[in-house]
Amino acid sequence: MGRINRDTVIAVILLCLVGFLYYASYGIRTPEFDRLAPGQMGPGLWPRMILIGLAVMGVFYLLQSIVDPPPPAEKLGGLIGWYRHYRNPIWCFAAFAAFLTVIPFLGMLIAGALFVFGLMTLLGPKNSVALKQHVLTTLGTVGGMWFIFACLLEVQLPKGEFTGGLEEWLAVNVCGLVASIGEAVAWIDGGACHLASAPIV
Amino acid sequence: MIIENITIAASEIFTLGTIFLMTLGVVAGLIAGAIPGFTIAMAVVLVLPFTFGMNPVQGLATMIGVYVGGLSGGLMAGILTGIPGTPSSVATTFDGFPLARKGQPGLALGVGVWASFFGGVISAAVLVLVAPQLARIGQEFQPWDYFALMMFALTVTASLAGDNMVKGLIAGLIGLFVATIGEDAVVGVPRFTFGVDSVQQGFAFLPVLIGLFAFTRLLSDVQDRQKAQQNLGASSAEAVRLEHMKAAREVLSRWVNLVRSSLIGVFIGVLPAAGSSISNILAYDQAKKNSKEADKFGTGHIDGIIAPEAANNATAGGALIVMMALGIPGDIITAVMLGALLIHDVVPSPTFITDEPVIAYSIFIAFFVANFLMLAMQSLTLRGFVAVTRVRMYMLASVILFYCALGVFALNNVQFDMWTLLWFGIGGFVMRMFGFPIVPVILGVVLGNIAENALAQVIALSNDPTPFVTRPWSLFFIVLGLFSSFFHIYQKRRGLSRWTLAFIPAMYLTLSIPVFMMEGTVRPVLGVGLGLFGLYLLFRRHRSGWVIDGPKERIATGGLEG
Repeated sequence: MGRINRDTVIAVILLCLVGFLYYASYGIRTPEFDRLAPGQMGPGLWPRMILIGLAVMGVFYLLQSIVDPPPPAEKLGGLIGWYRHYRNPIWCFAAFAAFLTVIPFLGMLIAGALFVFGLMTLLGPKNSVALKQHVLTTLGTVGGMWFIFACLLEVQLPKGEFTGGLEEWLAVNVCGLVASIGEAVAWIDGGACHLASAPIV
Repeated sequence: MIIENITIAASEIFTLGTIFLMTLGVVAGLIAGAIPGFTIAMAVVLVLPFTFGMNPVQGLATMIGVYVGGLSGGLMAGILTGIPGTPSSVATTFDGFPLARKGQPGLALGVGVWASFFGGVISAAVLVLVAPQLARIGQEFQPWDYFALMMFALTVTASLAGDNMVKGLIAGLIGLFVATIGEDAVVGVPRFTFGVDSVQQGFAFLPVLIGLFAFTRLLSDVQDRQKAQQNLGASSAEAVRLEHMKAAREVLSRWVNLVRSSLIGVFIGVLPAAGSSISNILAYDQAKKNSKEADKFGTGHIDGIIAPEAANNATAGGALIVMMALGIPGDIITAVMLGALLIHDVVPSPTFITDEPVIAYSIFIAFFVANFLMLAMQSLTLRGFVAVTRVRMYMLASVILFYCALGVFALNNVQFDMWTLLWFGIGGFVMRMFGFPIVPVILGVVLGNIAENALAQVIALSNDPTPFVTRPWSLFFIVLGLFSSFFHIYQKRRGLSRWTLAFIPAMYLTLSIPVFMMEGTVRPVLGVGLGLFGLYLLFRRHRSGWVIDGPKERIATGGLEG
């Protein structure tokens, strides 16, 4: 028998969560006007079967963690040590959440550029050479991807409340130019076909 | 009918657009496969958003291009730097790198490329021959059998995906549960939405997949601050000229090794959850055991390059056989392909080849064509690979995270999907941190709705659950599922506990019952054969006095996620 370890805590949390979800599964009700036909499976049955399976496995996991505890986890040295260990993933999540939060205000293009540049600077070196590389990489990659999705795949990317004008201008001019080139190519193609099919006088 | 379907499929594949997309896919796969830490599955996942605008055939053909390219790309890093680009090319480094260091990098690469090519072509031939036959068996399946098959696929994946079977099963069940969130398919009642309107329709598959897989993987790659700032290639690689003619001759002259390794690859690919990360090591091991020059393996032996490279490419054919014939994924990459089919409203099932013949034959043709494209593009991408090794991991991760958001948004033009990506990214990272494998979660999400529909059909047909054990195929999969659940413990205790000696004979004996119960003459005879073989094994164990002989080597499954 071992002391309380990480796996025991996770198993207990899992079991509590499963209990809560099982309770919540009784809130799934078929509307009165859409009564189940005979032999029709109720909407709560399958999730309950899964939750029972999860509960059984959760109990096994709990027993396993007590009878055969895992080797003690690497000591990270308190909250600061834990932060140091997981610093990069935490920054990535935080930066991504910030990026999603500002999209409605700055739009996909500007918010994306700020996100890519910001994250590279957070994770990488901060000297002048690296910063120049970050700026160039951001412009090349974000601009390139925006061009592919907005102009070539014609996806309506989110426009920002503050930057909508710029994105509109880019969409009209850059994507418009691409569309014009496409039309010109089609026209030349069509012309060539027309000439090829024209009778030789 | 078959000729007509092949003609229609060929007319869809051999268009300028599709071939161009496939070429791009192969190049992307070759480069992604060559980057250490960047798995083939991740490359296929990241290509998925681009395939929405395409028709299902073009989308699948592009993904197959990435898949085949990725399987072959790993050899570039493995041979030139000694670090395998993907887990599929681990064994390639054993002889490829020494041969390159002996001053023959062009020959080493050439042998790897040609072995990959022939391995792929052999497995494509097996795919074309076997998949329709297996699909005929699949057509015998009733909902009970199909439900049991899916549970088996999930169980075997869960038990092989990590070091702890219980954690694997919990991960698989979590995946199934995630698929239940939102409106149910039968009566359209919302489930577990807790009043949040955005999840009323359930979570879109792609953000969940990219969040769990790509997001989590990237964050693990940049977790170490020093490694995150290093170049992707540990040492500087240089482009070399491939010796095609000499390499092709060398590979063809060792055809026994080539065919054996390819067949090992196909067989491993057919097994659910076992992928190219296992097949390349197994094939290398077999090549060494059967070689007259076994002592030269590890010093730059040509057979040591042929075996893993032929096997890893051939695995793709095996995985596609299962996907097309039975409608269940053979590995993580075919799970993504099934997800792509679902996005295009094509529901995978054992009747897939009959219901969607054009898509099915297009997959056959695309798999053949992708191998030729791989051969053509390898020399070109060698220079690209050398350039990519100079990129730093943190830069690649930052750009790909943005791309993930963009790709996920492009699916439905819904901003909530990007938040889904974040939540599942965090969830996946936390699960990985606590030692839960991710692959069973993804498989659970893919199979969840299909399994629920099969169960609904079972209940609609009868309230009686006994067909699960009285129908031969259902019983067969239940027995296989049970034994595969305990396979992990068996592997751990083999050579240490006496009961492990009875495990395999008991499996043969138990499996013989459903096989014996099947219709016809061949299968019952096969059932009797299985039973007799089980008894023979038991008799041998009994004669040797049930002696255990110390711990045995285990097959590493750590690279399953690639």
